[in-house]
Amino acid sequence: MQTSTLLLVIAVLAVLAYGLGRQRSIQLVGGPSQIKHLHSLPNYYGLMAAAWAILPGFILLAVWVFLEERIIIQGLMNSLPDSYGQLGSPQMNLTLAKIQNISSGSLSASADPQLTAAAELLQQLRDRSQLFKVILTIGTTLVGALIGWVMTRPALRARPQFEFVLKSLLLLCSTIAIFTTVGIILSVLFESIRFFQAIPFFDFVFGLQWSPQIAIRADQVGSSGAFGAIPLFVGTLMIAAIALIVAVPIGLMSAVYLAEYAKPRVRNIIKPLLEVLAGIPTVVYGFFAALTMGPLVRDFFQGIGFDGVSAESALAAGLVMGIMIIPFVSSLSDDVINAVPNSLRDGSYGLGATRSETIRQVVFPAALPGIMGGILLAASRAIGETMIVVMAAGLAANLTANPLEAVTTVTVQIATLLVGDQEFDSPKTLSAFALGLMLFFTTLLLNIVAMAIVKRFREQYD
Amino acid sequence: MTLSNQYTESMDDNAISKPESRHPVLENWDGTVGQALVEEPRMSARSVDVFYGDTQAIDNVSLDIGKNEVLAMIGPSGCGKSTFLRTLNRMNDSIDICRVEGDILLDGEDIYKKHMDVVALRAKVGMVFQKPNPFPKSIYDNVAYGPRIHGLVSRRTELDEVVETALRKAGLWDEIKDRLDKPATGLSGGQQQRLCIARTIAISPEVILMDEPCSALDPIATARIEELIAELSQNYTIAIVTHSMQQAARVSQRTAYFHLGKLIEVGETDHIFTSPSHKLTEDYITGRFG
Amino acid sequence: MTEQKLDAIERLASVKQDRLNAKLKSRYARERRFQAYGIASIAAGLGFLVILLTTIFSQGLSAFWTTYVELEVTYDPQVLYIDDATDADQLRLADYGGVVREALLSRFPDVSGRQATRELTSLVSNSAEYRVRERLIANPELLGQSERLWVLADDDLDLLRKGIIDRELPESERRISDQELSWIDSWNEAGELKRRFNTVFFTNGDSRDPETAGIWGAVVGSFYTLVVTLLLSFPIGVAAAIYLEEFAPKNRLTDIIEVNINNLAAVPSIVFGLLGLAVFINFFGLPRSAPVVGGLVLTLMTLPTIIISARSAIRAVPPSIREAATGLGASKMQVTLHHVLPLAMPGMLTGTIIGMAQALGETAPLLMIGMVAFIVDIPGGFTDPSTVLPVQVYLWSDSPERAFIAKTSGAIMVLLGFLAVMNLLAVFLRKKFERRW
Repeated sequence: MQTSTLLLVIAVLAVLAYGLGRQRSIQLVGGPSQIKHLHSLPNYYGLMAAAWAILPGFILLAVWVFLEERIIIQGLMNSLPDSYGQLGSPQMNLTLAKIQNISSGSLSASADPQLTAAAELLQQLRDRSQLFKVILTIGTTLVGALIGWVMTRPALRARPQFEFVLKSLLLLCSTIAIFTTVGIILSVLFESIRFFQAIPFFDFVFGLQWSPQIAIRADQVGSSGAFGAIPLFVGTLMIAAIALIVAVPIGLMSAVYLAEYAKPRVRNIIKPLLEVLAGIPTVVYGFFAALTMGPLVRDFFQGIGFDGVSAESALAAGLVMGIMIIPFVSSLSDDVINAVPNSLRDGSYGLGATRSETIRQVVFPAALPGIMGGILLAASRAIGETMIVVMAAGLAANLTANPLEAVTTVTVQIATLLVGDQEFDSPKTLSAFALGLMLFFTTLLLNIVAMAIVKRFREQYD
Repeated sequence: MTLSNQYTESMDDNAISKPESRHPVLENWDGTVGQALVEEPRMSARSVDVFYGDTQAIDNVSLDIGKNEVLAMIGPSGCGKSTFLRTLNRMNDSIDICRVEGDILLDGEDIYKKHMDVVALRAKVGMVFQKPNPFPKSIYDNVAYGPRIHGLVSRRTELDEVVETALRKAGLWDEIKDRLDKPATGLSGGQQQRLCIARTIAISPEVILMDEPCSALDPIATARIEELIAELSQNYTIAIVTHSMQQAARVSQRTAYFHLGKLIEVGETDHIFTSPSHKLTEDYITGRFG
Repeated sequence: MTEQKLDAIERLASVKQDRLNAKLKSRYARERRFQAYGIASIAAGLGFLVILLTTIFSQGLSAFWTTYVELEVTYDPQVLYIDDATDADQLRLADYGGVVREALLSRFPDVSGRQATRELTSLVSNSAEYRVRERLIANPELLGQSERLWVLADDDLDLLRKGIIDRELPESERRISDQELSWIDSWNEAGELKRRFNTVFFTNGDSRDPETAGIWGAVVGSFYTLVVTLLLSFPIGVAAAIYLEEFAPKNRLTDIIEVNINNLAAVPSIVFGLLGLAVFINFFGLPRSAPVVGGLVLTLMTLPTIIISARSAIRAVPPSIREAATGLGASKMQVTLHHVLPLAMPGMLTGTIIGMAQALGETAPLLMIGMVAFIVDIPGGFTDPSTVLPVQVYLWSDSPERAFIAKTSGAIMVLLGFLAVMNLLAVFLRKKFERRW
């Protein structure tokens, strides 16, 4: 039985429990005319019974679905002799893939009888798990419904109880944000620690050479690879800097014009149009950068006499990324500029200042903290942006200050290292998580600082 | 975009001055009582109407402000006194829907004429606002702001002198002379308002408009400002809008009473407060409404 | 001393007018310059938008049309190696490539030699033989007869017809030889080439051959992924928003939740991919490349957006409504569910649609969880390997064939079309239910 079918079954049982609970509450006090003797309206007795039916069964099913595969694989591994490798080793992963393919029929029975047996065991375990899942889920739901039915008594404080259940669920939903953060930290931290066991932390953070590809073949000379992340950091910062150089003046001046000069009618047209830029998927920008901007930049600089400009350049990626974050900068600046109280503008106009003098000498200084916060947020976005750089910046980890050369970034490396087959014990794969750790904490820091600045700015004028 | 609180306030109030909601007394209103005009005016308004969109905020006001006199404008909130004040240096220009009709003259020159330079006008007619609004700069830079943008001084020493003089005239110099480079936002409310006055003086204006300059201040700070106004009146022409009749009585030589966009009565301050000629003025100053 | 100081401003008064006037002109010039910078910035921003869209549209429009060639196909049993037309296996495994080749050779009888034959057969798509096979399997009685059949042309022929391959170039720089050109011209003169709406593009999955590659597989993958995202993120987001706005006490837990939500909204999307890979695939053992995992990852990514917009929708419900309902004896939960929630719903839906649009355009995290594979089949469920539209764009943009540029742009146009519809829907909802309290 499919999981979705099981969910449907639980839902049907819950509806039944609702009806029964409701009816029972009415019956217990002796008919619909007597429901004033109930603590709550009959509906709430029904809802409470339904909650009893749904919650235990659903939780069981969810846990089962998430852990099923993991436990089955664990059991399968334990049944295999040690010669097939340790759990988690590449050798074992290969064996596992084989067993799964045999079991699903896409690989005809192998010469190795042990593998064939394992495949049968796998099928057996799966069938058993399936059976238990169905029986236990439906059983739990039925028992829950029964408890709910028994609990239905006129004195039951059904409404407060049900509201408590509901409130707890709401709380649970809002804590998902915490779990997500914890999940992110744990998932990058664990693999990073494994990475740093192989590669010393300082070699990673201060190393000048990045060439993880060497590490694939263990028997190769110099097989340790090079995991110095400085070229990636430099590449990331260079592209982010180019993006900000494009986006900050354009975004800021657009916001100023729209907030201080434009008539409302013009603003209502231009602002959404600019925001369209923010709604375009990053992959589209990447395509544009790789196919249009890259060759354009190359041709332009070759035309004015530069040599060896590649089509994949930091400049092209940075320019396009800058275009992408223009609306980001302009809408944040717009908020901040509008938060500057009009009394300051009046004071300046009252002294005979022109609009631009007022903007430059009064509004900007007043809005500066907020604008800085916005720029930090934009920087964080530029650093974390992936698709544009994957498609247009290149893979070569050049340590260079020349924006016309191809550079690579942290996000590009994470993406390329983890696309395709992964071996979770090679530093090559694990290094992606170490880079992810760096990326997460850098952007986190930028965000926290930026939000603190913006918050202080807002409080100043509230 | 630059709809300030003052604007919105007056715009809301205009609902009251729609014809159908007029005060019954105004039904047979027959013009301003008292002496609206003086012999030697610095500024004069003639038949001024101000509209916000379709609603009329000021209705046919004619009023002079004499040289080196302090003119107080009083009246219940929404009577148009702030709106009128703001038309005197065209601060209403930034509101798209605001329209001014009639003539306003500064030293005989129509300030609403076609090629009037608003920047130059405001350099002559300075303004102090309800809420102290020091710029987020140092105290020195606040005062130096006007002279700098207008290019009034050529040397640093000259600017230093102007700043010191303005602060002295505003009675602030002794309190803050040691911290000129500190942010102005660190000053107390009363000091901030005096700084704003100093800022206005520093461009050597001919007329200073004050829009309820003490409404955000405590009584002691208010007293300081009132003294200051009295001193300034020796050299400057001042028009002050105030909510407080006592304040009008203390600082001004002449008082104008506005009601629902109309100028009801103008006269010597002593006269207005002791024996007003118009029923509405009397009702207001005796506290029957307002 | 004081007397002299007082003079500073009085001295100023005498020179003021001249100095003011002297500077006025340059001040106004600067004012105009400043305004011009503003207009130039806006023009630059809008200009980029226009350039971006026109580049993509001008390249992508041609993807919606494709070229067909008409062939005189003879279902010759000898060529097909079929001796029994009722044997399904024989029909299925017959040499349809041979039939196509024969058809081409009989059209151009003077072609001989291996090289020339290969060049000739390369002008029609590999899918031609499947077309012929379909035809014969559906109508076995055609065996031994011949008919005229429109088959897909090769992408190079298509590009030539669209003018993307320039026939004026010298032969060595052109992907189509002079010989091939002459055949194409011959077809053209005989009216055996035509342009048709490219249905293949909208109905096929991915393919290595540009002329048979389509976006339908990616569209279906995107659909399944978004369904998972919507089913999870909408209820969870709304529940979280309700809790935080209506029930959350002011305590540390609430603060931590708020800080987390705001931070997650700014975490780079690729980090969510790392989370998905480490938690959903490695730890829980969920299948790679599956829409269900993609949906889970995108749920976590869009939740902050949805929660934040749902909260502002709830905040926009005036307290008077809550007070009125509470005054009638409703419990806090009843007030929230019966009164606040329905009033806030349009705003919540708007936020959710915008969140879904974000999720639809997202690429990076899906690369991490393996939705980047080359998948020909149309996915049939939530756990089938699949890809999504933006990833398809990424995959095609990486392909060396010239014809994939148009396909990529075409796929982008479809993607942008979906996004435009979603955003317009959000705008429409907002306008329609906009309330002034």
